[in-house]
Amino acid sequence: MKTIIVGLGNPILGDDGVGWKVVEELTRQMPTDLSVGLECLSVGGIGLMEHLIGYDRAIIIDAFIADKEDLGSILIQKLDNLPNYSAFHISSAHDTSLQNAIELGKRMGAQLPVDVTVIGIAIQRISEFGENLSPPVAECVPQAAHIALNLLKENVTNSREESHPHG
Amino acid sequence: MTQRISIDPVTRLEGHGKIEIFLDDQGNVANSYFQIPELRGFERFVVGRPIEEMPLLTNRICGVCPEAHHMAAAKAADAVYHVDPPRTGKMLRELLYSAFYCTDHTTHFYALGGPDFVMGPDAPVAERNILGVIHKVGLEIGGKVIQMRKYGHNVVEMIGGRKVHPCTSIPGGITKGITEEQRKEIEEMGRWAIEFAQFSLKLFNDIVLSNKSYVDLILGDVYTHRTYYMGLVDGNNKVNFYDGKVRVADPNGKEFVKYEPKDYAQHVAEHVEPWTYLKFPYLKNVGWKGFVDGIDSGIYMATPLSRLNAADGMATPLAQEQYDKFYATLGGKPVHQRLAIHWARLIELLYAAERWVELVTDPEITSPNVHTKPTQKPTEGIGIVEAPRGTLTHHYWTDELGRVTKANLIVGTTNNYAPIQMSTKKAAESLIKDGNVNEGLLNMVEMAFRAYDPCFGCATHSLPGQMPLEITIRDADGNPLEVLKQFC
Repeated sequence: MKTIIVGLGNPILGDDGVGWKVVEELTRQMPTDLSVGLECLSVGGIGLMEHLIGYDRAIIIDAFIADKEDLGSILIQKLDNLPNYSAFHISSAHDTSLQNAIELGKRMGAQLPVDVTVIGIAIQRISEFGENLSPPVAECVPQAAHIALNLLKENVTNSREESHPHG
Repeated sequence: MTQRISIDPVTRLEGHGKIEIFLDDQGNVANSYFQIPELRGFERFVVGRPIEEMPLLTNRICGVCPEAHHMAAAKAADAVYHVDPPRTGKMLRELLYSAFYCTDHTTHFYALGGPDFVMGPDAPVAERNILGVIHKVGLEIGGKVIQMRKYGHNVVEMIGGRKVHPCTSIPGGITKGITEEQRKEIEEMGRWAIEFAQFSLKLFNDIVLSNKSYVDLILGDVYTHRTYYMGLVDGNNKVNFYDGKVRVADPNGKEFVKYEPKDYAQHVAEHVEPWTYLKFPYLKNVGWKGFVDGIDSGIYMATPLSRLNAADGMATPLAQEQYDKFYATLGGKPVHQRLAIHWARLIELLYAAERWVELVTDPEITSPNVHTKPTQKPTEGIGIVEAPRGTLTHHYWTDELGRVTKANLIVGTTNNYAPIQMSTKKAAESLIKDGNVNEGLLNMVEMAFRAYDPCFGCATHSLPGQMPLEITIRDADGNPLEVLKQFC
C-alpha cells in the first residue's frame, strides 16, 4: 500500500508549523525498509488533493485550534469523520474542503487514497509570526511522530495480511 | 431591543472573518461590521534578516498567493540594490506570474465565486461548491479546472524552482533560464490556457449573462459603490500584473493620478478604526471621509474590476475584445457594480493566458542572460505587483549589509477592506427587511465580499500586544455589547 505522510502548516507562523516539525522528525526516524512519501506543505483543499494523487493511503499531520486546557493534546481521526471544511484550519477563498477536493479528484478519475488519517495537534495561537514552537506544542512532536510510525507499521502489517491471508 | 445575526465562520474565506449585523426593533439593519483577526507581526519578524531572503520568506505569508509576494519582494530587493534585471529575467518572472494568475483566477471562479452564480444565490449551502458546479454543467468542467491548475503549477515549477512557493527570483533577476524544450512545453500549455479562458468566458455568458435575474442582480444598486479604482498599467495604460505605474481612476472614470511605485507613500495612507486591527488604506490626497463613496471620499478599490476601470484596455487582442464587450454590456466606464468583479476576473484570466503565450514566444525568452549582478550598496526599495486580489506593495529599508531594518507591506486585500465593509453593510441593509432573514439572503450578503476575493490570511501589520482572539460586539451606536471568541 503506497503511503504518503504530509505535514501541513506554515513554517514561519509559530505553532502552526508543528506538522512540518513532525515530518522533519519522521524523516530522521523513518526505517529504511519502509517506502513512504514525506512532504511538508502549506496548501489545503484542491492543492493538497493534488499532492495525494497516486497514493493508496495518506496521513496528514496538522495543527488545530483548541482551548488552553487541551493545548498539546493529539487527536487521531479519519478524514471522513471530520467536519467537511478541511484538515483543520487550512481552508481558503480559492479552494474547497479537502473532502470535496478528494471527491472532485475521484470523479475526475484520479487515483486517490481510500484511507486518509489526520493527526491533529492542539495549539492555541496561529496568528503571530515566528519559526519556533511553543514548549507544550514542541513536546508533542516526538509523540506525534511515534503515532505516525505506529500507524504506518499497522498499515504495513494489515497490508501483508491482506496479501497473504493464510500466513 | 437589538437582535444580533452572526455569520461565522464566513464560508470558504481564507482566514477567519466575521460579519456582525445588528437589527433594530423593526428588524431592519442598524449596523454591520466585518471584522478580521489577521496574522500579525510579519514586519517585525523580518527585521535583521537579509533582503535576499524576503522573496522566500514572504511567500510563506499566505498559502494562497505566494507567487505574488515572491514577485513583489523580488522587485523590492532589486530596488534595494539599485539593480535592473535583464529583459529575459523580467520576462521569465512575468511568465511565471501569468501562469500563476491563470491558476488563481480559475480556482476562484470555479470554487468560490462561480458556485453562487452557477448554482444560484438561493441554492442550499451543500450544493454551492465546485461539486455542485460540475454536477450542473458537466463532469468535464472539473477535469479542465484540474488541468488548468496542473499546467499553472508546472510552469511555476519550471521557472520558479518549486511548485506553489517559487524560490528563483533574487536581486537582479532570476537564478536560471529555460531551455528550448521547456519553452515549447510552456507554449503548448499556454495555448491550452487561452482555450480554457475562452471556454470559461463562454460559460459565464451562457449561465450568468443569459439569465436576466443574474444580470439584474449584477446591475442592481445593492452591490454598487462609486469609488476610486487602482491598478498597475504599462506604458500604453493597459493592464499589467507584474510591472508599470500605479494608476488611479476617479468615480467618473477619469485619471486621478498615475505614479511610480516608489512614490506610493505620497498617495496612500491608512486609516485606523477602534473595532478592528486591520487598517483601511485610502487616497491621501482625497482624504478619509468615513465609509462613504463618491468623489470626495478617498476610498478606493483594487480588484480585477478596478484594474479594468483604471486602465485604457487590455494589452492582448482577445482580452481586449472581452473588455469592450464588458463595458458595452454594463453601460460604459467605469463599472461600479461589485458583482462584475467576477466577470472582470475571467477577462483577466484570458489576458494572463494570452500574455503567457506572448512571453514564451518572445525570441529572447531562452536567453541565458537572466541576471544582473548587484554592485551598489543596498539602501531602501519598493516593489509593487498586482496580486490577483489587489495592488501588493512591499517596502524594505536595509542597513549597508542588506539586512532589513524596517518593512512595510500593503497587501492586496487590505486595499479593499473599506469597500468590503461598505458592501457587506449595504447588502445587509438591502436584503434584510422587517426581520425577514433566510439563508439565501445571508448568502447574498456573503456574496458582497466574496466578489472581492478577499484573503485576510496575509493582511498583516505590526502592532504590539497579543493577537486578538475575541470579537467585540457593538450596538448600532458602536457601544460594545459583549465579547465572543473568534475561532471556531
